[in-house]
Amino acid sequence: MQDGDLRGRFRQGDPDAVREVYRAHGRLVYAVAYKVLGDRGLAEEATQQTFVKAWRAAQSFDEQRELGPWLAAIARRVAIDVYRREAVRAADPLDSVAAGEPALVSSPQSAETIYDVWEVRDAVAQLAPDEQEVVRLQHLDGFTHVQIAEQLGVAVGTVKSRSFRAHKRLAAMLGHLRE
Amino acid sequence: MSISDNDRIAYLSGETVDALTPRERAELDELRALLETPATWEEPDPALEDRIVAAIAGEARRERTAATAPGAPAGSAPAGPAAAKRKPRRVLGVSWPLRRPALAFGGLATAAAAIAVAIVIAVGSGGSPAPLQFAMVVSGTSLAPGAHGSGTLTKMTSGWEIQLTATGLPHLSGGRYYQAWLKNAAGILVPVGTFNDAEHVILWSGAPVTQFRSFSVTEQLANGNPASSGRRVLIGTAHPVH
Repeated sequence: MQDGDLRGRFRQGDPDAVREVYRAHGRLVYAVAYKVLGDRGLAEEATQQTFVKAWRAAQSFDEQRELGPWLAAIARRVAIDVYRREAVRAADPLDSVAAGEPALVSSPQSAETIYDVWEVRDAVAQLAPDEQEVVRLQHLDGFTHVQIAEQLGVAVGTVKSRSFRAHKRLAAMLGHLRE
Repeated sequence: MSISDNDRIAYLSGETVDALTPRERAELDELRALLETPATWEEPDPALEDRIVAAIAGEARRERTAATAPGAPAGSAPAGPAAAKRKPRRVLGVSWPLRRPALAFGGLATAAAAIAVAIVIAVGSGGSPAPLQFAMVVSGTSLAPGAHGSGTLTKMTSGWEIQLTATGLPHLSGGRYYQAWLKNAAGILVPVGTFNDAEHVILWSGAPVTQFRSFSVTEQLANGNPASSGRRVLIGTAHPVH
């Protein structure tokens, strides 16, 4: 936390300070947890545990560090713990569990992948709402420009220009991930 | 903007581009995969913010309570910026300030009483240090297959505060309501509260979650019979939060 006063208030459990930190980073923490767990309820549980752990450790947090990577690292560890707990509860026979199941490997998602999710989520959040909508419909829902235009009730050319603007901004914001 | 930048943007947006090298294509494929993953787009429940604020406020209250509990060394201040700089030491699951020398100035009797209380807490939980918070994931039963949610169970001075958030259960009224229960390994059921809507509920248990870890919610009728109807709609198991 760059703001020493905010950090002190956060450590005291000041609700306003907790909300400020959550509003700055909560969605990103949730994205990391969801990437590992793939379940809304579990991801929310992991997000809550992440912020509680961050609160407990806030006093030892190095103010020279960026808060985001620190929270992302906590979120990844917490999410992996939750996944392993749920895997043990399900008590599936070992040979019925897929080879790639996180419970079977020491690191289901690399730290690099997790932080990439954080960065992409953050970049998408910075797009204009109409650009976000086009990117979501295109990438998450798999619609073509023509289908998106029909859904939104706009011209195909409008969709294409929004898409170009959005992807140009994303490429600029996320170019460092390719280095 | 160079042609290659436009090619990268076009490829990222899903167009076919022949001018890219295999390495550029692979890097952009990774980026496209991240744009396609639900984790990039899923939004948490808006109520999650309140749950986190409440959870941390509860932890902060416990820390302040421990710092000012009988037996706490004289002069130990309630939690504040100065108090936050001291690292609390956990003994038998209870945080104690580190100022041992103050015990020599007449606090020994109250310190002994506080230690006795801590021992009772530890023994009541099976002899091992009891965690102060549990968490659970709740799932719908065959009566409510679409229901799901989560909860935290936090030890407070008044008992165990249970915060439950669940979706997929209809609002009940007109003499129908939900009842939450905790159950121990022996099958003993303890009621922990009634409500009409499960989106965000705060319940209370006087029975220790350390022993009563099975959580359930039943549909009930306001007909004078307080026993469980057996019509379970949500179930979950509380696990300690580390």
